[in-house]
Amino acid sequence: CKKDFLEKRPQGELSQEQLTNQKGVEATLTGAYALLNGNLSGTWGNYASGPSQWLLGEVTSDNAHKGSDAGDQPNMNALERHSPTSTNDNLSTLWTRCFEGIQRCNSTLRILAALQASSGEKFADKRAAEIQAEARFLRGHYYFFLARAFKNVPLILENTTDPAVDNTADIYPAIVEDFTYAVANLSTTKPLDQVGRADKIAAQAYLGKVLLYQKKYAEALTNFTAVMAARPAITTLDYKANFDITRENGPESIFAVQHAVGTDGSGGDNGNVGDMLNYPYGGSSKTSCCGFFQPSIDLANAFRVTATGLPMIDGSYRTNPFKSDFGLTTAQKAAYQVERSLLVDPRMDYTLGRRGVPYRDWGVMQGDPWIREVTTGGPFVPYKNSIEFAEFTNGTAPGSTNVNGLNVNVIRLADVYLMAAECQVELGNLPEALRLVNAVRARAAQLPVATDKAVGGAPAATYRVNPYPAFPSQTYARDAVRFERRLELAMEGHRFYDLVRWGILKPTLESYSAFEGQFLATSRGITIGDEDNYFPIPQEQLDRSNGVLKQNPGY
Amino acid sequence: RVTSSDDQSPIPGASIKIKNSAQGTMTDGNGAFAISASPSDVLVISFVGYQSTEVTVGSRTTVNIALKQEDNNLNEIVVTGYTSQRKKDLTGAVAVVDVAQLKSQPAASAVEALQGKAPGVQIVVDGAPGSTPQIRVRGVTTINNNDPLYVVDGVPYEGKLSWLNQNDIESMQILKDASAASIYGSRANNGVVIITTRKGIQGPPKVTLDAYYGTQTPRKNTFPEFLSPIQYAQAFPNATNYGTGATPVLPEYLRAGNIFGLNVTPADADPSKYLYSNDPNSFYQITRANQQGTNWFEEITENAPTQNYQVSASGGGENSTYSFSAGYLDQKGIIKYTGFKRYNTRANTSVSALDKKLRFGENLSYSYSEGFGFGVNPNVSGDYQDEGSAIGWAYRMPTIVPVYDIQGNFAGSKGSGLGNAENPLAFLYRGKDNLNKSNFFFGNAFAELDIVKGLTLRTNFGLRYENYNNISMRYPNPEFSEGNSSNNLSETQGFNSEWTWTNTLTYRTTFAEKHNLTLLAGTEAIQNKSRSLTGGRNDFFVLGDMDYYYLNVGTANISNGSSGSAGSLFSLFARADYSFNDRYLASVTIRRDGSSNFGPDNKYGAFPAGSIAWRVSEEDFLKNKVSWLNDLKFRAGYGGTGNQRIPVNQYLSRYQQGLLTSAYPLLGGNGVVTGVWQNAYANPEIKWESVTSLNVGLDFTLFSSAIDGSVDWYNRKTKDMLFPVQLPSTAVGLGNSPYRNVGDMSNKGVEVNLNYHYGRNNDSPFTFDLGVNFSKNVNKLEEIAPGVDQLQYGAFRSLRTSILKKGAPFGSFYGYEQSGIFQSDADIAGSPSYPNARVGGMKFRDINGDGAITPEDRKIIGNPNPDFYYSLNLNASYKNFDVSMFFNGVQGNDLYDTNRYFTDFPTFQGAKSTRLLNAWTPTNTASNIPSVTGTAAEIEYESSSYYVQDGSFFRLKNLQIGYTIPAEKVFGSKWGISKFRVYASTTNVFTITNYTGLDPEVSAESETYSALGVDRGIYPNPRQFLLGVSVGF
Repeated sequence: CKKDFLEKRPQGELSQEQLTNQKGVEATLTGAYALLNGNLSGTWGNYASGPSQWLLGEVTSDNAHKGSDAGDQPNMNALERHSPTSTNDNLSTLWTRCFEGIQRCNSTLRILAALQASSGEKFADKRAAEIQAEARFLRGHYYFFLARAFKNVPLILENTTDPAVDNTADIYPAIVEDFTYAVANLSTTKPLDQVGRADKIAAQAYLGKVLLYQKKYAEALTNFTAVMAARPAITTLDYKANFDITRENGPESIFAVQHAVGTDGSGGDNGNVGDMLNYPYGGSSKTSCCGFFQPSIDLANAFRVTATGLPMIDGSYRTNPFKSDFGLTTAQKAAYQVERSLLVDPRMDYTLGRRGVPYRDWGVMQGDPWIREVTTGGPFVPYKNSIEFAEFTNGTAPGSTNVNGLNVNVIRLADVYLMAAECQVELGNLPEALRLVNAVRARAAQLPVATDKAVGGAPAATYRVNPYPAFPSQTYARDAVRFERRLELAMEGHRFYDLVRWGILKPTLESYSAFEGQFLATSRGITIGDEDNYFPIPQEQLDRSNGVLKQNPGY
Repeated sequence: RVTSSDDQSPIPGASIKIKNSAQGTMTDGNGAFAISASPSDVLVISFVGYQSTEVTVGSRTTVNIALKQEDNNLNEIVVTGYTSQRKKDLTGAVAVVDVAQLKSQPAASAVEALQGKAPGVQIVVDGAPGSTPQIRVRGVTTINNNDPLYVVDGVPYEGKLSWLNQNDIESMQILKDASAASIYGSRANNGVVIITTRKGIQGPPKVTLDAYYGTQTPRKNTFPEFLSPIQYAQAFPNATNYGTGATPVLPEYLRAGNIFGLNVTPADADPSKYLYSNDPNSFYQITRANQQGTNWFEEITENAPTQNYQVSASGGGENSTYSFSAGYLDQKGIIKYTGFKRYNTRANTSVSALDKKLRFGENLSYSYSEGFGFGVNPNVSGDYQDEGSAIGWAYRMPTIVPVYDIQGNFAGSKGSGLGNAENPLAFLYRGKDNLNKSNFFFGNAFAELDIVKGLTLRTNFGLRYENYNNISMRYPNPEFSEGNSSNNLSETQGFNSEWTWTNTLTYRTTFAEKHNLTLLAGTEAIQNKSRSLTGGRNDFFVLGDMDYYYLNVGTANISNGSSGSAGSLFSLFARADYSFNDRYLASVTIRRDGSSNFGPDNKYGAFPAGSIAWRVSEEDFLKNKVSWLNDLKFRAGYGGTGNQRIPVNQYLSRYQQGLLTSAYPLLGGNGVVTGVWQNAYANPEIKWESVTSLNVGLDFTLFSSAIDGSVDWYNRKTKDMLFPVQLPSTAVGLGNSPYRNVGDMSNKGVEVNLNYHYGRNNDSPFTFDLGVNFSKNVNKLEEIAPGVDQLQYGAFRSLRTSILKKGAPFGSFYGYEQSGIFQSDADIAGSPSYPNARVGGMKFRDINGDGAITPEDRKIIGNPNPDFYYSLNLNASYKNFDVSMFFNGVQGNDLYDTNRYFTDFPTFQGAKSTRLLNAWTPTNTASNIPSVTGTAAEIEYESSSYYVQDGSFFRLKNLQIGYTIPAEKVFGSKWGISKFRVYASTTNVFTITNYTGLDPEVSAESETYSALGVDRGIYPNPRQFLLGVSVGF
């Protein structure tokens, strides 16, 4: 036998030497982008890591229920009820996906450094800096997702040699550093002119957001102001474009996770798999799976407005609440008519689906037949993550209509406006805050309800949204900005994290539990402790770290 | 030349002496001898186990002597590692399978029939035709693959054995301990099963014809029972479809178009509106409720035929022998639309030349098999089990749903409140054309040359080549709540190939009359390659037309892929067998293996072993003094074996470009750019996993061979167990953590084999044989990995059924221990409790005594490894009648019935078990079944002792009655029929068990580690009735 008889090279795999060149670095960087949809491979199971953060950012708040059958995904029930244990699989889903993304960013930076230090054909300095900026932007993103959810996170960078790093240090400074580098080394045009890449505007917005989470309002505001200046006024932009698969990457999109569902044989793996459970279930709906992520009755009522078209920020919207056909007898349900006199913000019917109202181009929502188990999730269905039925052919994965190609906005311009407004409130500049909030409201008033939401020739509700005349006090302004943030961005993955950083999780959710629990058993008796501001570190990761990682207090 | 009288095989090592003289010699490997003698000399020919014979030389120059065997099996020649030995000379733990008994049990696979035939070998068989039985030799040795190494006609083979026709087997031995198996070195940790196929025997052609035909019936008394629609409505007040208020109302219709349940009006249900179309917008199905309730297990099962035919011929002349066979097996399954077919042929030839000093030949087999449907084709036993399989659906489908709608199309769960199960019969029907085909060639060519007396060179080249093709279709299932309107074809084509080239040099000698020595040295090179190609498309113009289904006429979702592997092994080995005066036996083996699986530092591993035996019955103080003792031998052996069956290239860091794993739509839209990621992290130190084992045993034959048997005790320790220790994500992200050599496992056990024979040694018209096998094995995971004391696995929804825990048996069940039911709010307040506890909910034991139920209160709640397993064989014959019975039992193992997750808990809307009729209520407080509710606390959905049951069973596996027709009397001599036996046989006659699932024989579900005893919807064993005939002429 020859000596090399026992040498078998890997089949269909590459070595690091084969990657240490320009093509290899670019490919590794593309790999770092690829985790943005929260999915390694295989569509099912990436619910907590989806960029929409519907599970950890919304179901955990007063906006939404898990939905589906009571016993389906019981670990999600535990999250909804704020009684998760460290073995909750959804937590390890987020943790592992984000760290895979971080590994890829670090790989990119390492291989790039090796190439630039080698005698091979190197990148020009500009592209080399840009690649570093893109990789660090992405690393900042993954760490931010981890820091929001778990707070105490180990920091692994490209030059970390021993991955046994503990999770005691605050990683926000490192995140700020990554985004700061990205702001400095990216330009306002997309790298390589590719629309899916991060640019300077996205980096500024993200840096501002991270600073806001640290309550560094003035520094944050500078970044937000730059972003707003770089984009058209929001009043000139269409709200619906944010949730329209035919108008992706428009001017309002600051940083969006790109989703693709081509016929390239990837079978939806590069689509929006995070939200694949979150569509109406059955009946004449156009999707058959899976009835999760149902908007709460509380959220629906938050859209109710006073006769002057202002939201009831004092909480009075809970008086005599609107429940659609929930709780009616069989006979009453058969006779149900939509309440046209209901006074609501038009964004309601672009945020949730309810009985008697047209749902995109799917037809009029049927009520119970579109809902998997009404007694578990209530009478409403999610809206923002779905697409027009006319777009199903190209917009959903071949053979599975519950994976679509709709991008998910991580940061959109309205979010930046409202974050800027928040900074202005905290910095005491109420008129500027008022201007920003009213710009968002003015844009909402342009929604074409008369055509979109008409049944039998007349609108399904009395839609009204008017600007605030003034913010009489900082407290009022703060409440108004926060309420507006809820209405504008509901079901987009912000709410729980907002409540935590505002420090109002406990009062908000306990009062929500008392209200929502009148109707749905799942919401009854939720109590919030300090530990509920963050989720437990996944047990398997603690175990695998051999004691290096420490559990969050209270778990 | 000296041969054996029964099969004309040569007897090497026989002693030839000239009577009353010191002159003598021995026969060589071919049974030949040469001696100078005068015509008046008398030759005394003797060989252990044979009756001595005397012949007068006379004027002959060639003397052929056929020795008659003494009538017991001690002289049976047993093929062991690269050589053969007499059974009585064995020093290691070798189970010699009674092949006649093996063949008497009709089975599609030889492994299946091996069940209960050898102590220390546990086989779990399920009912899927052509399935891959789970085989374990002396317990679970490793957390990795535990399948033994097969050696077929000298060619090692790893994989499933369904291609081999059991009628072609001539002998089968199982090398169980290291001293016997370590000559197979790095692949012998899990035992070695040595199979030789039928060879030709010198003489006129012998033709045999075997055939059976029969039917299999589902054992309906094991079917689970479900609440009828009205019982369901009463148990779940206000359930969707059943009206609101105190009195449930069974709906007349479940569906009419998009109107459901009680909302369906007569106008909606007008049959003229019915439209079954591919367009979901115009699709209009009308389904009546089945108010009586559908028994889904009845619907998906049926009586199924099974048949087998085999013809073989063998014979030969002085310098060549041949054996030929051809067979056909066709077994349908009791689950509808499942089945397995096999066509196989074999040709074994042997030729000698150069005055018989050169022998060469070949053993070739070719098998074509087809499997279709659920459960039939997994490469790993039990791998088909899934909640989304036909049986999984049958556990979940509401009983109110009928099988068909008003027009005879499938009805389903689409509607309101009908859950998310798929019509299991529709699922099976739509899979009826999913076909797996395999062309399997396995053969070898060999040549043997006697260089000088006693020294033989042998070279053997074996080749395996399998080519397979699978096609699978998906159809629209518009009646299913989570259905789909697309259709799809996917197809796989691939091959596995392996060649093995073995060269050995054997020297046999006898010196000073009493010393027998066999020396062997050899080399072996193995190389394997595999490659498979897959493709798929959606949207075919017509559905269900198999003549149309080719990929290139599909119009959407075009996908394809291929993958492959390559590996090699190179080995050197040597062996010495020595015996003195037939009393003292010793054997030493060593093997050095080099494997492509390991890096430069640890490429080679050495595996030595030694064993000794003492045939105490040959000692003067016993021989001919204790009349009832025919043979008694003590054995002891110690040695090491290895395991290298892990994914390749663990010593290298590897990167991959993947459309699914590392692509991103950088350009927006539906196109993607494919990047690279590190999919595997390296462990340069990776090396061999090893087992050292000590075996002590004794073999005995008593009372004129009326009783024989053996007892073995062993202690096996697995060290440096190859373990994919999962590193934290901070180290590897989602890439594969490398295997490391960290775990330790131990198996200790006792095996007893005992046989009683009546009427064997005389010409009694009545013969009776009784055989008992008993095996006990205690498995313990001694060490997992540094810092890792336990690992949970066996993910099934929110259950994690199994655990690897230091100090516990492999695959133990893990969870909360149910201590009862919360009787009242006061009970909850006064007991250790958990968030969202409810009256009527599960009460758990507070293991750590901290007053609350937390994850720390989980414990081992069951052990899937049996305390012991046993079998009993009874064979009797009287004149021309024969009867045989084979019993098989397992005692003390636990099973985990995951199906209860759906049928006993408020997890999903769907069928519920009749157990709920006895659920806890304020008036039925003694029940341990949680009360019926819409919502339970999260912890109630977790793994608990509620799922665990005793899995012990005792089964009359096979009962057979045969009659041998006195052929010559009936047919006359003209036909030349030498044998004509007819028989009737029944399998799975009865089963005694407390297990409430479909079948207590539950194959492991493979995950990262195999989940033993976890029932996720097993394919149950049928009862089988056969009529067969065996004719020889």
